[in-house]
Amino acid sequence: MTEITAETLDPRARERFPIGWWGMAIVVASEGTLFAMMVGTYFYLRFRTPVWPPAGVPKPHVLVPAVVLGCLVLTAIPMRLASVAGQAGRLRATRWLLVLATLVQAGYFWVEVWSYLEDLEKSTPQRDAYDSIYYTLLGADHAHIAIGVLLNLWLLWKLRYGFTQYRTTALRAISFFWLAVIVMTVVVILTTLSPSFT
Amino acid sequence: MSTTTVTERVDRLDRMWTARPGLLGWLTTTDHKRIGLLYFWTTLVFFGAGGVEALTMRTQLIEPNSHLVGPELYNQLFTVHGMTMIFWFIIPMTTGAFGNYLVPLMVGARDLAFPRLNALSFWIFVASGIFLYIGLFSGFGPDAGWFDYVPLASKLYDPGRNIEFYTLAVIFNGMSSTLTAANLIVTILKLRAPGMSFNRMPLFCFAFLAASLGLLFALPSLTADTIFLYLDRNVGTHFFDPSHGGSTLLWQHLFWFFGHPEVYILIVPAFGIATEIIPAFTQRKMIAFPLVAIAELLVVFIGFGVWAHHMFATGIPTTTLIFFAGATAMVVIPSTIQVFAWSTSILVGRPQFKTPLLFIVGFIFMFVVGGLTGIMFLAIPFDQQTTDTYFVIAHFHYIIFGAAVFPIFGGMYYWFPKVTGKLYFELPGQISFWILMVGTNLLFFPMHIVGLLGMPRRVYTYPANMGWGSYNLAETIGGYITGIGILVLFANLVVSYFRGAPAGPDPWHGPTLEWSIPSPPPEYNFAVLPVVSSPYPNWDHDDRELDGRRLEAGEGLLDQGHQQRVSALIDGWRVGIADMPHSSPWPIVSAFVLTLMFTVLVVEKFVVAAFLAIVLLATFLGWHSKEPQEH
Repeated sequence: MTEITAETLDPRARERFPIGWWGMAIVVASEGTLFAMMVGTYFYLRFRTPVWPPAGVPKPHVLVPAVVLGCLVLTAIPMRLASVAGQAGRLRATRWLLVLATLVQAGYFWVEVWSYLEDLEKSTPQRDAYDSIYYTLLGADHAHIAIGVLLNLWLLWKLRYGFTQYRTTALRAISFFWLAVIVMTVVVILTTLSPSFT
Repeated sequence: MSTTTVTERVDRLDRMWTARPGLLGWLTTTDHKRIGLLYFWTTLVFFGAGGVEALTMRTQLIEPNSHLVGPELYNQLFTVHGMTMIFWFIIPMTTGAFGNYLVPLMVGARDLAFPRLNALSFWIFVASGIFLYIGLFSGFGPDAGWFDYVPLASKLYDPGRNIEFYTLAVIFNGMSSTLTAANLIVTILKLRAPGMSFNRMPLFCFAFLAASLGLLFALPSLTADTIFLYLDRNVGTHFFDPSHGGSTLLWQHLFWFFGHPEVYILIVPAFGIATEIIPAFTQRKMIAFPLVAIAELLVVFIGFGVWAHHMFATGIPTTTLIFFAGATAMVVIPSTIQVFAWSTSILVGRPQFKTPLLFIVGFIFMFVVGGLTGIMFLAIPFDQQTTDTYFVIAHFHYIIFGAAVFPIFGGMYYWFPKVTGKLYFELPGQISFWILMVGTNLLFFPMHIVGLLGMPRRVYTYPANMGWGSYNLAETIGGYITGIGILVLFANLVVSYFRGAPAGPDPWHGPTLEWSIPSPPPEYNFAVLPVVSSPYPNWDHDDRELDGRRLEAGEGLLDQGHQQRVSALIDGWRVGIADMPHSSPWPIVSAFVLTLMFTVLVVEKFVVAAFLAIVLLATFLGWHSKEPQEH
């Protein structure tokens, strides 16, 4: 017969991550696999094509995408700090850190969409397989950035009246989502820029 | 503490957890048992549809030169049959119905981790099935096979809307499966009863964890593939167009990266069912418990590394062929471990060959036969000779019908008393098993021979001088016998529901926690959240007596709302309490908007689809407008 009861709290068993965070972790696993498949498709097509990008298609510019990507990567810091501040119950700091991160992330989104539209004037996804995967990969990534910005705005709206356990969990989950989106974006941008590195 | 107090406590839980009555209650339910039942009934409807399609094809093939249906309809029938049985019957029946109903009961939880997401997943599933069949009934059913190879599925060779119904229905259905998988994974990891560390978790839960992880990591490949195909057909991209730098083999790589793990996703839950039925009807613990648990996970894991064995006839390099043949051989190891464990547990136990165990014995036989023909495909020249013949159809039906569906039937009988509170009638149950055993073997075994004689799959008729007629006649007779067996099975369950004797909480002396509570289970599942000290907690009588004493003492009740304890990942210790949502209208509303969105995508109304995406986001705002209680 066991000695434990349902009320026993093992001092080693701390609640490191709430259920909502686990839900987000599963979403990230699924989305990460989707991006892995798309990046895999990019390289599958690349290594079957003698000239990549095909003749007549300019190699992607590196400087501007690399700089704005750097800015996006840095937003992982305020997002993480906001999560920590949220767990400590520091509402004002949480809000400001979220606002800061959201402004930079929205700016990144704006620059990338503008760049995407500019690219579309030079070539379209209907031109060849290179352009098909290039625009699909970037489009999928931009969609995730947009979802992240919307999540931040929703969270800021929710935090008008202070913290609840639910909102703190949401903050942690969204902070983790952004970390994953930033990693995916780095992979996607490096993939699309890879022809310029050779 | 007096008995009255115990009754009052249970009444309080009853009042707190009682669902909204009537139709509205079912439409807005978030209770895992109700959603499990909704899955059960809905998947049976799709099973019936898939069965009618199968029998129509078998009737067409009963004799040479038959013209019951034309080639176009036949193409749609075999495609929709395959899609229905895989995506709208077996996966939702296992993860959706069995997983939903039983996993929380087995881990000692009161619901799944995300009850509203669970409801959304069900309504998306229903809508995706209706979506697929609207295509079929409007003459635009998918018609390029369930694996939908390009270039056959490209706009050039399939210019109608048929493939749009394929791509969108698969993406739509995949969302549902992903949500269900996510829910089961988090439930198994985080909502286990106190003391239920991984080594004390039922093998059923290991199987469902493996299948859910498989779904989670396999489905994105299919999603990417179908998105590319949709874009190729409707936006003009060139993913699969070799004349513009694309590749037709890309489709097959992405499809089979999903498609082969999918086979294990289909059968591993069936393994889990077997590992529950065998201990109950032999009254002994499973032999090699840790090895079986690891094998259940390993078979799915290895399944991710063998996809190209479906592509041996595509001209890929010989080195690749050999690598994938070798990798495929590895699957034999965890599979064989399980076969020996099941068989030995039956042999050394005290088996009572009641209907559920009969179905498991039938399953082991069918799995071994299907497995042996699977090993034959490792021989690359043999595979290249038999690919796209009826031999392949014979192999995978032995696996999918014999190894996945037989345990589902066994599971239906096994848990029927738990779900309904009634006992089924044993003799008709055993008759249904033997009819099915004869029917399925008569249906599928001759396909091996006719396949070796060269009959290709996916042909709507065949000439008389090929020597295939008598085999096809036997197969069709087998098909109808199988149909009769299924009818007898369900007739027995329906009659038993109305006339069966009361089952009581534990008619089989079952090993797991669901047998420790009344039949059917109360809405809150467990009055006292149970304590667990082995993988067979219902056989640990001291622990169950402790539950009773704790109920009397008012310990571990969690009766301050829709409460659920949250446990630590590895050892199952309690780390917190979560407030579970009540019924909610938002899942069905969100699923409805999503359905409209997918419908307009069929006709390329992208602006309307974007507008509906915004409406969908608005429904999510409504979804999260009410926050759970604080404790």
